[in-house]
Amino acid sequence: MTQETSSVAVLDAEGISLKSVSLWNITLRRLRRRKSALIGLTILAILTFIALTAQWLAPYDPYTPLIGIEDVKAREAPCIHALGCPPSKPQHILGVDGNVRDQFSRLLYGARLSLMIGFSTVTFAIIIGTVLGALGGYLGGWIDNVIMRLMDVLLAFPSLLLAIAIVTVLGPGLINALLAIGIVSIPAYARVVRASVLSVREMDYVSASRALGGSMTQILFRRILPNALTPLIVQGTLGIATAILDAAALSFLGLGAQPPTPEWGSMLGAERNQVFTAPHLVFFPGIAIALTVLAFNLLGDGLRDALDPRLAHVS
Amino acid sequence: MKRNLFAVLSVFVLASLMLAACGGGGAQPAAITIEGLKEKDFAPVKYEAPNCDYGGEFKSMEAVDESTVRFTLCVPDPAFPSKIAFSAFAVQPKEYLEFTGATGAILEQPIGTGPYYVAQWERGNQLIFKRFDAYWGEKAKTPTLVFRWGSESAQRLLELQSGTVDGIDNPAPDDFAVIEADPNLQLKPRPALNIFYIGMNNTYPPFDNEKVRQAIAMGIDRQRIVDNFYPAGSEVASHFTPCAIPNGCVGESWYEFNPEAARALLAEAGFPDGFKTKLYYRDVVRGYLPQVSNVAQDIQAQLKANLNIDAEIEVQESGTFLDNADSGKLDGLHLLGWGADYPDQTNFLDYHFGAGASKQFGEKFPDIVENLAKAAQLASDEERRPYYEAANNAIKQHVPMIPVAHGGSGTAFKAAVEGAHASPLGNENFAVMSIPGQDTFVWMQNAEPISLFCADETDGESLRACEQVTQSLLGYQVAGTAVEPVLAESYEANADLTVWTFKLRPNVKFHNGFTLDAADVVESLVLQWDAAHPLHKGNTGAFSYWSGLFGAFLNAPAE
Repeated sequence: MTQETSSVAVLDAEGISLKSVSLWNITLRRLRRRKSALIGLTILAILTFIALTAQWLAPYDPYTPLIGIEDVKAREAPCIHALGCPPSKPQHILGVDGNVRDQFSRLLYGARLSLMIGFSTVTFAIIIGTVLGALGGYLGGWIDNVIMRLMDVLLAFPSLLLAIAIVTVLGPGLINALLAIGIVSIPAYARVVRASVLSVREMDYVSASRALGGSMTQILFRRILPNALTPLIVQGTLGIATAILDAAALSFLGLGAQPPTPEWGSMLGAERNQVFTAPHLVFFPGIAIALTVLAFNLLGDGLRDALDPRLAHVS
Repeated sequence: MKRNLFAVLSVFVLASLMLAACGGGGAQPAAITIEGLKEKDFAPVKYEAPNCDYGGEFKSMEAVDESTVRFTLCVPDPAFPSKIAFSAFAVQPKEYLEFTGATGAILEQPIGTGPYYVAQWERGNQLIFKRFDAYWGEKAKTPTLVFRWGSESAQRLLELQSGTVDGIDNPAPDDFAVIEADPNLQLKPRPALNIFYIGMNNTYPPFDNEKVRQAIAMGIDRQRIVDNFYPAGSEVASHFTPCAIPNGCVGESWYEFNPEAARALLAEAGFPDGFKTKLYYRDVVRGYLPQVSNVAQDIQAQLKANLNIDAEIEVQESGTFLDNADSGKLDGLHLLGWGADYPDQTNFLDYHFGAGASKQFGEKFPDIVENLAKAAQLASDEERRPYYEAANNAIKQHVPMIPVAHGGSGTAFKAAVEGAHASPLGNENFAVMSIPGQDTFVWMQNAEPISLFCADETDGESLRACEQVTQSLLGYQVAGTAVEPVLAESYEANADLTVWTFKLRPNVKFHNGFTLDAADVVESLVLQWDAAHPLHKGNTGAFSYWSGLFGAFLNAPAE
């Protein structure tokens, strides 16, 4: 049954079905026509490449202070040989941080952490949110009421504030920060899934499946959910951007990744007082955060347009 | 309806008349009026401990007559004038202490004898002081003094550069050069009368093993920390106490950095592959530790590289961290420091390692405690020297902590500020500072005061605010450490330094117009000394300076 709805028959001029093209192929085709989404995708591809190969790309170890190893001082400005920095000096293309570590290497490793944070928190939130939203939407009644009121309570707090509160209770640290961000993003997914389930569950094929004696889990997970997936993907992509931003904010405040972990937010936070004397230490992690968030937002917007059947004629 | 209107109007008129009567303090000598507070006549009073077995330094304190206070000590104390001059032992009116119960209102509105009085404290925003016109000494140069605070050094410097504040505390080490190069600003370096140390608590394994502590002491390159993270004017600590303090650095110098020997020692102690621990600190900048996070990360990296010790960093909120340290709850290494309150060894060694010290380093070491107790009772620096030598050597052997650096810090002011200075004790005196033609002086420090009842505060940011308002019998020279008379005009001690008699300055007025007498002095001190006193309350009730400097409380509850 899934097959029928998630793929579209492409008709030729005579109206005879030639072949079945999956929704994903159409989406990809539509996505390719959107420049902004392509830019987002490209940045993400580069970031993913960096994250996967950080240990080979990074010229230095991100944790080792270079005191006594190289002749550099804390917070030294970038030195790029190609741009006229004397070859006698060691090359640090983004400069050296307050603990005399290579800023560029730390930034590369930071990409790994940021992507990991984005994907893991959103995966966590999607799994929990989907289960809650699907149960609420499918079962209805008091279960739905309890679940959705609970989600309303979570939504009533500004998400970052709630995350700070959760981390304060759990104690600072990367894992706790991830958990906090995951928890505060659950309601968004629960609501999206519930809305989709509500609209799908009354469809004829679901009734048919029910009439055939399908169990609840079977109907829910094999018939309904796969067809309620589209908005979740869009929400998830945009959610990664928010999660990365929230994690950076928590780390900036000292509640997320603990030193010496090369996390962009904590790198920014650690050197915030040097914004005038060593601007490169604040500027580059900031740019990295902004670029990553921008990439996910562009891609999310593009996906939303591409997956929306109402916008099909645009392609 | 008409009658009602009339009634409302008359209430308004009456209320405004009353307000005018209360607020029109300009003509009266009193700067602060406390409703319902009446001045009592002087009556001689004496408090005495039944004997000296309770473990504290005081035997008795007595208001002999209106202008004479006498203290009898259980043991001779040559540092007594230095100690009693400290701002935790400031005098407030007896009537006011009783009126407030030494807690509550007094935490925000102290009544002192100083050149400024507290006009308004907008919590979270600013603290406003006004000049006290009936001050006994030279009046403050600027009519209004404002304290503001910002934890970010970049913010403080930016405010100074943009002219919204007139002076700032603790510019970041990297900003020293910026300030010196700016013709509109002046930098006042503060002498490094402090110590930054890595503490260990010997009740938690593996720090209960002396060899482990010695190995860590040898395995940390302290010179590297000072070279990379401290401003000019800082130095590696050869001893716990800075050398500028008499007998500060007698005895053997600290261990030389020797990673091989350190590793061997650690292996001998049973940890050839290192171990896992935690590194606790609070993320606040102090003169002794200007770049907290960087220093912590460098120590972490050194522990790993030199000793294969994995130290996980845990940052704690400032107040929580101090509480945890003092109550001995930190089971790893911790980064803390100490700035001089008065220039004497007792302020450094006794406070940390003496009989009255907290549980910060765990169990006390008898050989350190004994030597400190003996030294504290001797009058001259020469006589005390051998005991401090022995104490310093014992500290080196037992390694309750690793002294790292005496940190240079500073203050920065607009170039136009007259009387600008940085005090080695951190108690800058703003009554002597002014900018010609300006009637408000704005000072920006690291943090907001916790309370203004400084008998029960230890935080330097609170003490500095108190020091503008309240005064002790003696005080410290402006921008210096020499003790000079303040509320006491003169003082004398008997030959064996156990009986100290202070003669009060006549006609000293409190901010509320009351006159200072000996009973005020005794009341201000006995409420700290006697744990059973009804006024032994304060902000937390800890009165840490009293116990740190004068030993156990009288009537202390059994632990």
